[in-house]
Amino acid sequence: MEDKFDCIVIGGGVAGLAAAMTLARNNMKFLLIEKGEFPGSKNVSGGVLWGSDLNKLVPNYWEEEDGGWDRFINHRRLTFMDEQSSFSLDFKSSHFNEKPYTGVVVLRSKFDNWLAGKVQEAIDASDFAMDSFIATDIKVDEVIMENDKAVGIKTGEDEFFADSVIIAEGVNNLLTRQVGLQDKYVPADHMLTGIKEIIRFDQKVLEDRFQLNGLSGMSNEFVGWATNGIEGGGFLYTNRDTISLGLVLGLKDLREKKQKPYDVLNHFKQHPTIADAIKGGEVVEYSAHVVSSGDSRVMPKELYKDGILLVGEAANLLMNAGKAIQGMDYAMRSGILAAETIVEAKAKNDYTSATLKEYRKKMDDSYIMKDIKGFQDAVHLLHTDVMQNKVPNLVCDFGRQFFSIKNEPTPKSEKMLLGAIKRHSSLWELAKLGFKARKSL
Amino acid sequence: MSTILTYIAISDGKLKRSSLEVLSHCKSLADASGASCEAVVIDAKASSFVDGIQKYGASKVHVVEDPIFKNHMNTPLLKALSKVMGSVNPSVFAFASTEGTKDVLGALAANQNAAVIADVASFELIDGGVKAKRPVMAAKIMNNTEAKSDKVLVSVRSGSYDLNESPESAEVVNIDFSMDDSEMKSTLREIISASGDTIDLNEAEAIVAAGRGVKDEEGKALISELASVLKAGIGASRALTESGVYDPSLQIGQTGKVVSPQLYIAVGISGAIQHVAGMANSKVIVAINKDPDAPIFEVADYGIVGDLYKVLPPFIEEIKKIKS
Amino acid sequence: MPDVYAPLQIKEGELIMDADRMVLNAYDASAVEEALVLKEKHGGEVEVVCIGPSKASETIRKALAMGADKATHILASGDEEYDSASYAKILSAFFKDKEYDVIGLGKQSQDTDSGLTGSMVAEHLSLPYTTNAVGLEVENGNLVVKRQGDSGQEMIELPTPCAVTCSNDMNDPRIPNLKGIMASKRKPIDQVEISSLGIDEAELQADTKVTSYEEKPARQAGKKYEGEAEEVAREVAQLLDTEANVL
Ligand SMILES: Cc1cc2nc3c(=O)[nH]c(=O)nc-3n(C[C@H](O)[C@H](O)[C@H](O)COP(=O)(O)OP(=O)(O)OC[C@H]3O[C@@H](n4cnc5c(N)ncnc54)[C@H](O)[C@@H]3O)c2cc1C
Ligand SMILES: Cc1cc2nc3c(=O)[nH]c(=O)nc-3n(C[C@H](O)[C@H](O)[C@H](O)COP(=O)(O)OP(=O)(O)OC[C@H]3O[C@@H](n4cnc5c(N)ncnc54)[C@H](O)[C@@H]3O)c2cc1C
Ligand SMILES: Nc1ncnc2c1ncn2[C@@H]1O[C@H](COP(=O)(O)O)[C@@H](O)[C@H]1O
Repeated sequence: MEDKFDCIVIGGGVAGLAAAMTLARNNMKFLLIEKGEFPGSKNVSGGVLWGSDLNKLVPNYWEEEDGGWDRFINHRRLTFMDEQSSFSLDFKSSHFNEKPYTGVVVLRSKFDNWLAGKVQEAIDASDFAMDSFIATDIKVDEVIMENDKAVGIKTGEDEFFADSVIIAEGVNNLLTRQVGLQDKYVPADHMLTGIKEIIRFDQKVLEDRFQLNGLSGMSNEFVGWATNGIEGGGFLYTNRDTISLGLVLGLKDLREKKQKPYDVLNHFKQHPTIADAIKGGEVVEYSAHVVSSGDSRVMPKELYKDGILLVGEAANLLMNAGKAIQGMDYAMRSGILAAETIVEAKAKNDYTSATLKEYRKKMDDSYIMKDIKGFQDAVHLLHTDVMQNKVPNLVCDFGRQFFSIKNEPTPKSEKMLLGAIKRHSSLWELAKLGFKARKSL
Repeated sequence: MSTILTYIAISDGKLKRSSLEVLSHCKSLADASGASCEAVVIDAKASSFVDGIQKYGASKVHVVEDPIFKNHMNTPLLKALSKVMGSVNPSVFAFASTEGTKDVLGALAANQNAAVIADVASFELIDGGVKAKRPVMAAKIMNNTEAKSDKVLVSVRSGSYDLNESPESAEVVNIDFSMDDSEMKSTLREIISASGDTIDLNEAEAIVAAGRGVKDEEGKALISELASVLKAGIGASRALTESGVYDPSLQIGQTGKVVSPQLYIAVGISGAIQHVAGMANSKVIVAINKDPDAPIFEVADYGIVGDLYKVLPPFIEEIKKIKS
Repeated sequence: MPDVYAPLQIKEGELIMDADRMVLNAYDASAVEEALVLKEKHGGEVEVVCIGPSKASETIRKALAMGADKATHILASGDEEYDSASYAKILSAFFKDKEYDVIGLGKQSQDTDSGLTGSMVAEHLSLPYTTNAVGLEVENGNLVVKRQGDSGQEMIELPTPCAVTCSNDMNDPRIPNLKGIMASKRKPIDQVEISSLGIDEAELQADTKVTSYEEKPARQAGKKYEGEAEEVAREVAQLLDTEANVL
């Protein structure tokens, strides 16, 4: 089998491209297959890429004048909302101005395509310049299994063979299910739908409105009224001359409460805080995409099997504990670790679980699995009614009193807080919440 | 004195209204700039059209009459146009943007070493040339293009200008033409005409356009009935011309015809940019589509959300009532 | 050409494409497809030629992946302000001493809809040509082209060598499969500098120049009528009469 590859990567999202880059840099002969017309064409994120792994893949990526990213984050905000108010925790620090940045905002159709270009450059510089490929507009239909070991892939009538397959197909993980790493059926309450609009402004207006400086940017997450009673949250990120505004909403809750994502987004946009933020902007794009809840209960049984590694959201690697959505950084790191494992497997000429289980170990040692395990309770907590509704209402109620100055004696803030708690919850409930939160955060 | 020349296209033995629109515009440009407004007609029966042409203000009508022009063929047309340009020496030579024009415009420009701007929505004279507005990027936006040359060719989308009569008694100039068989570079073997007595879409006041939503004979019958009640031309989206449901000459859009009737009724058409590129300049647009999110509703003045099979019968009936 | 589907904006009269992506013109894809069909039926070789900046090589690769045998990339910097006439001159200079049976072109560029280059090339090379082809056959060594005219279709017979501009109504261009993509990498792309074609740079100066871009006068979305079919149908019919005044 002359044409056999060391590895076939399925999917050209963040995870697949990170794997491909690592393979190319290590002189591996591989094939990356992406079903979209170009990498990123169908991919949706909010999207802040957290952490600094990008610098590992494309060292000093910020030096390129028109790279794939839009802004770096040095200003973060978490906002609680009720119908008329918003109460924010706001943190801005020039500490975040240092390179490598720890968070950059990206627009996927631009970012993925740019990253794919970088991978192509790495391929061109590798020993397999003529034998490694990034192929787009092609959908993998099936992973070819022999004795429960992956040996290649099938697309249409064509079959291609490889010693290993990295599945980086994202959240609609049909192939992951085909190879038996995940149950065929994943319940809807573990799925969310993400929708977002890209709203364009005059760049100057955007920079003034959000106090951006050069390429600095802001990330803002929202809890409470934003989602109109549906479990989930909202986000607003600043790009070069647009903002990404959107929501992540529980599919089951949407269905039960008979609401459409788009209507909830319009509801969100009507909040005075959001209305002020988007005034004068023009919606230039709307997109929707399923996203995993990041609940470890729906994680695949294992991240590997003979000849196969699972990376990114195909493995439900995601964290959504309120302060940020982390999916791309998990995708990137898992892609890198998987590819490194394949490099080791090639050295040993053993692509069975015996070698590939090293990937699992690397993952367990990484921040990804530590966080997913460590913050699991926080994920569950975030999705409770208390956190979704009562807390935001309470916080806003308190804020309204605290910040109101009337010509009458001002009550002590403790009294205001107690009043707000009574109106929206009870001390007992909060005590429980506080206890849970301490444990989970 | 410089000359603004307009090419008058003849199709199916009739003056093309779109070229008279262009002539009307050229007349006003000529009047404003002191240029001479002239026209040229090239046809097997060219001289019979002079009367119709002088109504729109041409002070001279150049006539090239030869049996060879009975049907469109690019070799003789190109030769005739080159000859006309040689003898008239126009500073601006304007055309209606028809398939016939598109077939020769580039070659004529190359042959005459003239600057050319094709398919404009409007144009005016500037110092040393022509300035035009053109729809680009699948007609999503416009650009301004300038051509600086002592000879500028320009072709104009139909419906860009109103007809404007300003009768002149034009001087008729016959231009000799002959063509040897040996000069013919290609041969026209056959013309497959569009079926039936279809109304020319470029000239139609109203157009009923069918898209993939029109699935069967029953749907086609409804389209025909609506068109006949409105005395409208029938157009189609590529989905239906490609599948052979309607004749290819009825395709409206970027690949097909660009139309701008008073009334455009899009039935079962989703509103892809390439389709919209061909009809967005219609005065009033009605869309009938069962998908409330269909992009066609973004350009429609009246959007009816519903099944065309249920909407059209009462719609036709009501229009009949109004008309009677 | 730039992707017309990609988001775009106009800033101070300049057109800004957010994603700097180049794609194969749909009409040229049809021309390539037709060439491949001819080759499959009658043999021969399919060569593609593109004038463009270095990143156009991706687009060329796509044509090779579809099945073209080889390619010539005439390098442009991308900053030139060429118009159809300039491109036609470069292409003609390239073809001048080449041997070929048919030059296939797109009937127009999807981004500008100019539709001029094809007949210009034919004129420069004194070739028989036809435009807006929707079908094509070979008979006795001649090309029989079905062209979409104003009202009907014209069947035109052309001797070779000749030039034809293709409509996308001609065929459905094949989407390269993985084998094609892989094979394309080994196919030769000959890179040629414009200066080597023996044309005077001054001759390529465009007579036409895009001075600015602007928004189209916006067409406001009108009203949507939802509800019982019979009712809304009658309501809108009435409005066409009383409000829009077009009946
Ligand atoms: C609205 C929204 C907001 C989000 N915000 C953030 C955020 O701010 N920060 C963050 O880190 N994450 C965010 N996420 C999550 C993040 O987008 C995902 O976790 C991330 O994209 C996962 O990357 P991936 O490479 O695993 O999968 P994907 O990006 O989904 O890529 C999978 C790729 O595989 C291709 N593919 C699938 N099947 C096949 C096949 N059979 N053959 C060939 N190709 C195939 C797809 O076309 C796709 O390109 C957000 C998600 C959504 C929906
Ligand atoms: C280079 C290029 C050039 C092109 N040029 C052209 C062109 O010139 N002209 C052109 O038209 N297209 C052109 N196209 C194709 C264009 O992109 C679309 O594919 C085409 O216009 C779709 O036709 P449609 O709207 O009829 O079909 P569809 O997109 O399939 O839409 C059918 C619509 O009918 C509705 N519908 C279905 N059933 C019913 C019912 N019972 N009642 C009411 N509504 C119903 C559906 O909701 C849907 O919106 C071009 C494409 C390319 C790439
Ligand atoms: N840079 C170029 N390289 C190769 N062919 C071109 C180029 N520009 C135009 N053409 C050909 O000319 C056709 C379009 O002409 P036009 O609409 O005048 O731009 C295209 O479909 C191509 O076949």
